[in-house]
Amino acid sequence: MLFSIKNLTKVYGKRTVLNLPDLVFEKGLIYALQGPNGSGKTTLLEILSLLIPPSTGTIIYDNKTIDFANSDLTPLRREIVMVQQHPVLFTTTVYKNLEFGLKIRGISKMERQRIVDESLDLVGMQGFSNALAHKLSGGETQRVAIARALACSPRVMFFDEPTSNVDVENQIVIERIMQDINVQKEISVIFTTHNLTQASRLSHDVISLFDGMQVHTTYENIFAGRILENQDGRRVCLIRDKIGLSLQTEKAGPVKLTIDPLKVKLLAPQETETKENIFDGRLTELAEDQELVRAVVNIGIPIYLLLPRDTLKEKALTVGDAVKVLCPPEAIHVF
Amino acid sequence: MSFLIDSFLSALLLLWSLDLEVYFIIYVSLKVSLSSTLIASLLGVPAGFLIAFKEFRGKRLLITFLNSLLALPTVVVGLVVYAFISRRGILGILDLLYTQTAMVIGQVILIFPVVACLTIAAISRIDDRYKKTAMTLGATPFQTALIVLREARFAVIAAIIAAFGRVIAEVGISMMLGGNAKGYTRVMTTAMALEYDKGEFVLGVALGMVLLLISFTMNVFFNVMQGKSRA
Repeated sequence: MLFSIKNLTKVYGKRTVLNLPDLVFEKGLIYALQGPNGSGKTTLLEILSLLIPPSTGTIIYDNKTIDFANSDLTPLRREIVMVQQHPVLFTTTVYKNLEFGLKIRGISKMERQRIVDESLDLVGMQGFSNALAHKLSGGETQRVAIARALACSPRVMFFDEPTSNVDVENQIVIERIMQDINVQKEISVIFTTHNLTQASRLSHDVISLFDGMQVHTTYENIFAGRILENQDGRRVCLIRDKIGLSLQTEKAGPVKLTIDPLKVKLLAPQETETKENIFDGRLTELAEDQELVRAVVNIGIPIYLLLPRDTLKEKALTVGDAVKVLCPPEAIHVF
Repeated sequence: MSFLIDSFLSALLLLWSLDLEVYFIIYVSLKVSLSSTLIASLLGVPAGFLIAFKEFRGKRLLITFLNSLLALPTVVVGLVVYAFISRRGILGILDLLYTQTAMVIGQVILIFPVVACLTIAAISRIDDRYKKTAMTLGATPFQTALIVLREARFAVIAAIIAAFGRVIAEVGISMMLGGNAKGYTRVMTTAMALEYDKGEFVLGVALGMVLLLISFTMNVFFNVMQGKSRA
């Protein structure tokens, strides 16, 4: 077991940004923390990398309970390195950036040179050793930041939105690096993303967060809504004041709900169903997602669907087509 | 107009003639101002850094207090230090009045808030990510502090240059605590004030030109250094 979290909360002012009763990360795996902006992904990474303390709760790292209040965390921190979403490089050369972590660990000059060269090689930045770090492009900066972290030979690496600010070419390189260091150097990797395809493609396990809480749905379609009661006594969840979703629940007032993308059905415009929760929309996105096809339909809010490839072929649908979406009761989970 | 031009030309001739008195005044000015700047920097930079870096009760109040000291008139500093080091003062026994040491003490008090406040501003502007980066790469709290200070180095150097500019150009403290003794505590600004009182302008203009030259040289040096690092 790499990390075990119990009753972890992080509160800023009066706002609880993280509330995780129980979460475990195993050694040697790649985990994706997935969720929309403000879901607490970065806060969790910063707590796990021992950069900020939690408000309450316990974190056990490698069978050791972390004491944020009293102990010097530097020795533990040297095993866990985080690459930020927008990494900053020290205003000096690339070499000195990579050398920093090694120098403070007391590694000899010759050894430092070797590790720096090897790390730059791993991220495809060989030859940039003497370049000024602040003159690099966004993608190059990200790669040098990864090399700088790798040079420290960590046991665990955290990547905060590693590909959100880079072009496709750099995205492919960074994804490859994350997988390579996991396989070749046996480094456990935890990364955050809001890209569902990337999360499931790269990781052994996806942990979804929403509003600081873990949600047990692998994919998106997490909404905040309001439960209202119709005149006939039926309950409707109003999402963003646009979509009224009929559902069965005892809850009232503001709620959060997920719609399982595997259970949502896509209908051609001519198909008629008498069921509830059918919405007109437009197919805006289609992408390959392992054996399935990931579709996005705009019904006033974007709804994600995971469909068998045959469905699209049978219905002869493509991007831009008018469609209908059916959200059956079993697809909706209120929490 | 011709009076000004004549004074200017005579001042140039005076500097060119390597007049010993003029150069001794410049020497004393630089010695006193550089000493006070060095001491104020050794105290002000760490103090400013700690105030900016640490969270503690009364931090805002302390910063406000230091900020208000920025407007401290030199004559007030001169008066307060005089009260301490004059014969009747509690430090009178040290016989410091009308010495270069007294001038340095006064000037340190004057520019300590300048160095501290500008260092606080410099450190506060450094992106928090530098701190987190150093920490996640395994730096101890002290090593993390050094990284942040390193990133703020140009602004801190600018703070020190601003402080030096303040002391080399001040006249109140030098006059009240140094006494403008010829060949001992006479500095450029007190000499210029004296020459004005005498109605003589040549030495005053010459020293004024030297003051400007010093200021210009320091700024050129700073810009070259900054440019080289960011090229």
